[in-house]
This record gives sequence, structure tokens and C-alpha cells, in this order.
Amino acid sequence: MRRFTSRPNTIIVLGLATVSVALAARDPVWTDSWVIVGVYVLIALSTGISYGQAGILSMSQGAFAAIGGYIAAVSTLRFKLPPGIDLLMAAALPALLAYGLARVVTRLTALATALATLALGSVIEIALRNMDNITGGYIGLAGIPGIGIVDTPLKYCVLVWTMICVCVLMYENLVNSPFGRALNVIRHNRLRAQADGVDVPRLLSAAFAFSAAMAGSAGWLYAHYISYISPNSLDTQTSISALLMTVIGGPGIILGPLAGTVFLDVLVRHLPAQELQGMFYGGALILILILAPTGLLGLVPPLLAKLCANRGFRRTTKPATVKPGAAQ
Amino acid sequence: MTGVLAATGIRMSFGGLTALKSGTIEVAAGAIIGLIGRNGSGKSTLFNCMTGYFRPQAGEITLSGRDITGMQPHRIVEHGIARTFQTPRLDFDANVRTAVLCGFYPARSSTFLGALCGLPGVRREERSLADKADHLIERLGLGPQRDQPLGTLSMGQVRLVEVARCLAADAKFVLLDEPAAGLTREEQLVLCRQIRELAKQGIGVLLVEHNFFLIHELCERVTVLDEGAAIFVGTPDEVARDPGVLRSYLGAAAEYGREMAAE
Repeated sequence: MRRFTSRPNTIIVLGLATVSVALAARDPVWTDSWVIVGVYVLIALSTGISYGQAGILSMSQGAFAAIGGYIAAVSTLRFKLPPGIDLLMAAALPALLAYGLARVVTRLTALATALATLALGSVIEIALRNMDNITGGYIGLAGIPGIGIVDTPLKYCVLVWTMICVCVLMYENLVNSPFGRALNVIRHNRLRAQADGVDVPRLLSAAFAFSAAMAGSAGWLYAHYISYISPNSLDTQTSISALLMTVIGGPGIILGPLAGTVFLDVLVRHLPAQELQGMFYGGALILILILAPTGLLGLVPPLLAKLCANRGFRRTTKPATVKPGAAQ
Repeated sequence: MTGVLAATGIRMSFGGLTALKSGTIEVAAGAIIGLIGRNGSGKSTLFNCMTGYFRPQAGEITLSGRDITGMQPHRIVEHGIARTFQTPRLDFDANVRTAVLCGFYPARSSTFLGALCGLPGVRREERSLADKADHLIERLGLGPQRDQPLGTLSMGQVRLVEVARCLAADAKFVLLDEPAAGLTREEQLVLCRQIRELAKQGIGVLLVEHNFFLIHELCERVTVLDEGAAIFVGTPDEVARDPGVLRSYLGAAAEYGREMAAE
């Protein structure tokens, strides 16, 4: 019993996933979009670990996902490996890359580290575009087979939300371990962390590798589901969106990236004109940074405290953040 | 438990400024040693060299004969030498228990991957660390404050949390950087009692202080630094009487003299 009560976030996401997948199953359009939202939730969660926990403002999560996707495509199309085995590689290769990069750059300032991840993302993108004989260049790779028994959109939906639950559990395990506490200390003060006996670059690299593995497995699922991948499928734009979702939802909170992803998805779905998406994203970001610097979920604890104190229903803060954004 | 932490002939300069010409000090297990000197006399530099934050340009730091010069700070901690900071660099939202738990990092046996997967061993270790942390908190008399955020504690209590964090790392030597700064006289007395308790358990304590009251209360030997070199080593009383020290370090000693006269 203790095993479950000590992981409240996992319980919450398990409940949310069950209910939402059951609802999404009622309509094929919903099912399809819920799979894609799930992929974005995974990438945003990975950003939550790299940015929210390790403090690395990562611009390469999209590229890590792309590597995962291309591994899925290349290993099933060219090497005829049965789908499923490639998940291991799709997680391991981005993790190795991330670890190597972070070992070198985390001793620099936060800004320099962010720029290094941006550079890594660009290099990966260029490599994917130019390795024509492996990656299919600009055209990409089509006809990627599905994952064995997972052959309907609904099954993909179940799979991706199961992966989300597993990732949240691992994330929560990390936060409640000596490593999670040490990451917290590093974010507040590196010198203090060293005095606790923490090998700072090594721990940051391990956390960044974990986040890259998560992004890689999101890309793996994406490629198998869509059955097509090109250099534009998961790129720097994806990294930036994931970062936005994370910051809006609450980067330091485990479920923050999930809340941010769903919030932005709903926002964009209910607003006109796809081309204006960037404007709404930007508007939402500015509003959140001003009104709720700790993210949407950062509003919940004070709100709960207020509710408990008043025993009333003063829910003024949360909906107000949406309206001015729409008017802008 | 025996052992000696010794620094000999440490030299350290920053650009054209030589902060430390020949820093020499020795702390034996179970001893409380003071390190005093004016601002800019090189105490903090020597302190930072001994804890791995600076790499000295010359000289040697040894732990029971083993050379630990120029080691990374986290390796030094693993060797059982822990430090505190003059300005507590803490997350003031974290509670006392979490802060003390952070000190157990070198004592962990779990791996990063094991922690992610939540292996049973990791969970067991987490529970045993929590028990150990509670034990330490009780030992330093912080029991009632266990679940309070650090931001709500007095400065004296915050310093005790820092000491608890050093002990969590299983330190054999504890280096305290001006622990009495900003403390009331009552809080200083509580801190004195706890530091004496540490020494009784065989832990070597190095005290970098401006506060001569604390030095006089606790230290068996004091090293006085001036312009980057030790000018005097002796008992606190000898230090307070030595004309050379008084000339270099007049302010605090004179003030202490006045206080003694008043009491």
C-alpha cells in the first residue's frame, strides 16, 4: 500500500490516462489526436526533466525524438528487424549522445549549455537531411510498419498513455531519490551541491541522458504510428513547443509538462487559424510568465490552501489566464 | 578514530595578488582548531584550498598522510572532509529533514538507473536514510523543527542544520566557515555545545572565525594568519596576549578584552 501512496503523481496520471483513453475511444478523430497529444506529452515530460530538474534549457529534445523515429524507420525498413526491439536502440542512442554532450558542456554557464543543445539539434537535423542513402534525405522514409500486435489507433493510444504512466513513475522515483534531491540542490547552488559530495557534471549528464531516452522513445512511437518520418516531422520547432508546454504547465512540477501540453492543445484546437498558432503560444507564454511564474500547476497549491481556508468557491485566477490571451 | 588533516606551505595567488604565501595548519581527529586573521589575510583561501574549491599552486594537503591536494570538492567530501558556508546557500523552502537528507548523498549505495526503476533495495535505503536523518536531527536538538521550512528557522538553527548535513556525509573532519556570524550570544552557546559534542566523538573541527568569543570558548589551538602566512600558533589565551597578533588583529581582540573587563 505504501508503495502506491508514496507516488501520488503516478496515481493521478494513471487515473487521467484511463479516463481520457476511454473517452477518446468513442470517436476515431479523438483517438488519433490523443495519440499525437500523447507523443507531445512524452517529449514535454522529457523537457521537464532536462529543464525542470537538471536546469538544462534543452533545444534538442525534438532532435532526440527524431533520432528515435529514424531508428524505428531504418531498423524496420532496411534491416527488417521486428518492431519492438528497436525501442531499446531508440532510447539508448539519444541517451548516449546527450550524456556525451552534457559531460562536456555542463561545466559552462546555463546559457552556453542551452546554445550547445541548440547546436546539437541543428547538427542532427542537417545530418538527417544529408544522409540520403540511410535516412531518405529531404523526402524522408515512408511505409514504416506498425508495432506487431499494436495495429489500431486505439491500441497506439493505450500504448502511448501507458508509456506516459511508466515515464511519470520513473520521474517520480527520481525526484524521491538522493539523485533527485541533489538535482534540486544543484539548481539552487552548485557549490552547495559539491559540498554535499555531488559530482555535478556527472549527475546533470545522467539526468539529461534519461530525458533524451524518453524523447527518443516518443519519436519511436510517433514513427511507427504515422508510418512516415522526414526531417521536418520532429525538429527544433518541436523542441521549442515542448519547452513552451513545460514552462506553461510548470517546469519544476512532475505533471506540469502534461498540463501544459493538454492546455496548449485545447487552446489551439478551439482557436481559429492554424497560422496564428505561434502568436497564441507566444501570448500564452508571456501571460503565464507574468501571472504564474511557476506554471499553471504552480497555481494549484496556493489555490487549494485558499479553498481550504475559505471553504468557498473563489476560482477566479485560473480561467482568467485564458481570456486575455484570446483577445490579444 | 585517529587521523590528521594537514595543510603545509599552501600558496595561492589570483592574478597579481598573492592571497596565500605559505598557509600551514593541522587538525587532528577530535581537536577543535581555530583559524583567525584580518579580512584578506588568506583564511578563506586556505579553507577553500583544503576543501577542493581552489587548487593550490604550491604546497600539500594530506589526510592521515595521504595526498589529497587539488582533488575535486566532491571527492574530498567522500574522503570524510565536510564544510559549511559562511552564507548558507540553501533552498529556504525545503524543510529541515529534506535538507539533512541531501547530506547523505555520498552515503548512498543505489545507482541512478536503479533509482529510476524504483528497485526494492533503493526504497529500503530511502527509508533507512530517513531514519538516520531523523536521528541526526534529534541529536542536534532540532527535533521540533523537523518539518519546518528552513526559511522559518533562526540563523542559529540554520547553522545547526548545516552541521547536521556535514555529519550526514559521515565526516571525520568538519570545516566551519564563520559559523557564529549573525548569531545571538545564546545561539552561539548552543552552537558551542554542539561543536564540543562533535569533538568528543572524535571529529576534527576547523573553525574559521572572526568571533573571538567562540574561538576562546572552544579552541585548544589557534593559528593566526596575516598577509598569507601563519604568524602565530598557540592557545587562545597566548594569542590574546601576543603583541604581534594584537598589532595585526587588534579589532576583535581589543573588543574581546573590553567585553571581558565588563563581565
